[in-house]
Amino acid sequence: MYELDMLLHGAQALFNQPMALLLALFGVTLGIIIGALPGLTATMGVAILLPFTFGMDPLSGLLMISGVFFGGIYGGSVTAILLKIPGTPAAAATAIDGFELTKKGQAGIALGTATFSSFLGGTASVFVLIFLAPVLARFALEFSASESFALAVFGLSIIASISGVSVIKGLIAGFLGLLLATVGLDPMAGFPRYTGGYTELFNVPFIPVMIGLFAAAEAFKSLEDPQVRAGMAAALDRIIPPWHVFRRQLGNIARSSGLGIVIGIIPGAGADIAAFVAYNEAKRFSKTPENYGKGELGAVAACESGANGCTGGALLTMLTLGIPGDAVTAVMLGALTLQGLQPGPLLFKDHADLVFTLFAGMLVCYVMMLVVGLGSLRFMGRILQMPKSVLTPTILALCIVGTYAINNSMFDIWIMLAAGVAGYFMQKWDFPASPVVLALIMGPMAEANFRRALSLSNGSYDFLYTRPITAALLTVAILTLMLPLLRRLWSSRSGGPTVNGPTVASSAAEGSK
Amino acid sequence: MKSYRFVTGAVVGVLTSATMMMAAQAAEYPAKSIELIVPYAAGGGTDLVARAYADAVNRHLPQSVGVVNKTGGGGAVGLSEIMAARPDGYKIGMGTVEITTLPNLGVARFTVADFTPIARLNAEPSAITVNASAPWKTIEEFLAYAKENPGKARIGNSGTGAIWHLAAEALASKTGLKFNHVPYDGANPAVTALLGNHIEAVSVSPAEVSSHVAAGTLRILAVMDDQRSKAFPDAPTLKEKGIDVTVATWRGIVVPKKTPENVVNTLRAASKKAVEEQGFRDQLNKMNLSYAYLDGPDYKVAMEKDAEMFKALMKQIGLAK
Repeated sequence: MYELDMLLHGAQALFNQPMALLLALFGVTLGIIIGALPGLTATMGVAILLPFTFGMDPLSGLLMISGVFFGGIYGGSVTAILLKIPGTPAAAATAIDGFELTKKGQAGIALGTATFSSFLGGTASVFVLIFLAPVLARFALEFSASESFALAVFGLSIIASISGVSVIKGLIAGFLGLLLATVGLDPMAGFPRYTGGYTELFNVPFIPVMIGLFAAAEAFKSLEDPQVRAGMAAALDRIIPPWHVFRRQLGNIARSSGLGIVIGIIPGAGADIAAFVAYNEAKRFSKTPENYGKGELGAVAACESGANGCTGGALLTMLTLGIPGDAVTAVMLGALTLQGLQPGPLLFKDHADLVFTLFAGMLVCYVMMLVVGLGSLRFMGRILQMPKSVLTPTILALCIVGTYAINNSMFDIWIMLAAGVAGYFMQKWDFPASPVVLALIMGPMAEANFRRALSLSNGSYDFLYTRPITAALLTVAILTLMLPLLRRLWSSRSGGPTVNGPTVASSAAEGSK
Repeated sequence: MKSYRFVTGAVVGVLTSATMMMAAQAAEYPAKSIELIVPYAAGGGTDLVARAYADAVNRHLPQSVGVVNKTGGGGAVGLSEIMAARPDGYKIGMGTVEITTLPNLGVARFTVADFTPIARLNAEPSAITVNASAPWKTIEEFLAYAKENPGKARIGNSGTGAIWHLAAEALASKTGLKFNHVPYDGANPAVTALLGNHIEAVSVSPAEVSSHVAAGTLRILAVMDDQRSKAFPDAPTLKEKGIDVTVATWRGIVVPKKTPENVVNTLRAASKKAVEEQGFRDQLNKMNLSYAYLDGPDYKVAMEKDAEMFKALMKQIGLAK
């Protein structure tokens, strides 16, 4: 088999280059730190390191950048689980159940599961990249504006399943997010909307809002009671999940990784979307969907394997077609070009040796991520033992620095703090924050692509049902929205009037709890 | 008494030397490190040019030049910051073609007159590129198709009001044809749509399609430049075909309008030395970017010419406010 042969050759070549391996380790470690800090995302880490690769040989530079990419996607989960502070947008999905697990005293196992799931999802995606790249690359080109629109609508329908206790409150939060998403330059005509004359508002300040809603809001909340320790101090006793627990997640992880890979391949869709979609599907296929949102290990496993599954998918289209699957690979495209490696169909022909050495290196990067991740968890877990009087100001300081770092902008800091105040009251009144984040990711994507699709079809709405992928995704979206309703109907019917049993009315009320 | 005089003398001495130092500082620019504002994100084309320039110019200035990215508003945020910077030469910026287009959109407080150009570093023309499987082998055939099917030929661009949209509009207005302009979120997504045959053409630069042209999946029909591209000598210019349209994006170093003469001259001299370095040109080459150095005064002429052209064009197509 050609690919396997080349991969073995690549591995051999790789282990003769200790410098490249060292830089990869540096990249992975840095990536995990960057990912864990709010505001600093994998995209930014890669962009910052890019100039340093100018003087390196191609393999070292690219491996270091891949390391940052992989580590950055995973690192976001650590603070999401421990503190409910998603370091990256993808980890906003992990935070939902991850933090609930921490509250239950299961932080260790949640972190361990996240690490193993990230590793498995990422490794699976790199293997797909190695063996199936040419087959899957063509799929990316099938995706036009109408398909992206349908994917975004499907993404928005997930609000129904991440709303937690009250679907109504989740929908309110989601629509609030959609309203916020209309601020900025009109995606088609280019004129400013609701910007109040501030050029800073031309793009929706998505990451500042996310940091505010999650991290700053959490910090404000703990200001209420600064004397209390986190109260979960002794919780981090076991990090590696017991086999009988983890075994049950394997099917979930396989499905989520697959979803992640496919979403990674789709141009313009990245780890954030993958994590939310994986969460939704894990809940759909779970035997205990009612546990999702209350601290379900399967949710953490799904989000993390989905997000990291994205990495290989996004790299796949970037390397084979020269079209980046997400923001990180868009920057990596520049890195490859700089090294004189023009991504595209010719890359595999002209530089096969280097490409396969790079693939081998990516697999090594994921192993490094697993080792560094597991090794650092115990240290990271000490965060929980910090008194809140120290932790809270630290978090707020990190929020401010992280927000400023995105655009070097003070304006963003005010946005973040305003979102923090809003997030504080949302928490008080039980409005979930993740639907807002989801709406901010999917809203602009849905709007721009719907209008683009209309423009492409010269104003005809036929694309909604004549294109198979579009129609399928829209159908799934409708199903997702209807599912809670159908479940309620079904449970009220099956629990119908029985002798001495609950009445129809009371079981329906139970279903809506 | 004696000590009193001594103190007075000391104070006078300190004051004099301080004044002299300040005078010396003004004369010996730069006395501290210089910030180079890039109005676009790290890793993009403008950023890469800026970093290559900073690398090269550092060898010709006694103080270092550091790149700072200020993104947002399609460049408006960063360009506004350069315009509003204290004119002392310690905050310089990458001036891009958006200096001439954004004011017409009504989203910027600056105009071309608010900047003093130092050096143009790079320029990329627009090109009309189609899928290799498309029936059009020449630009004439493509334009004939567009003439027979008004509004049917979909040309992807990098955003409404962005340079590649204006390029396609310029072509439309010169030839009297009607295209369907489809904005994408940057040049890359537009190229992806072209690869998938979802649109008929793109108007982005040859550099942005070069890997696909080399792989034989896309075909450049014409470039909107004065001369043919060095990388794709087979693609004719529109001028050769009798259509007088040249549209290019450009990037260079600019400073705020009121920057003192000696500072401007120091920067111009250092920039000239920097771009003459082989390393700088190699760096651009590697990134598929074309070297297009112009000294300050020539750069100013080029900027003003574009400002006038885009003002007229954007008014004509109803984009100007």
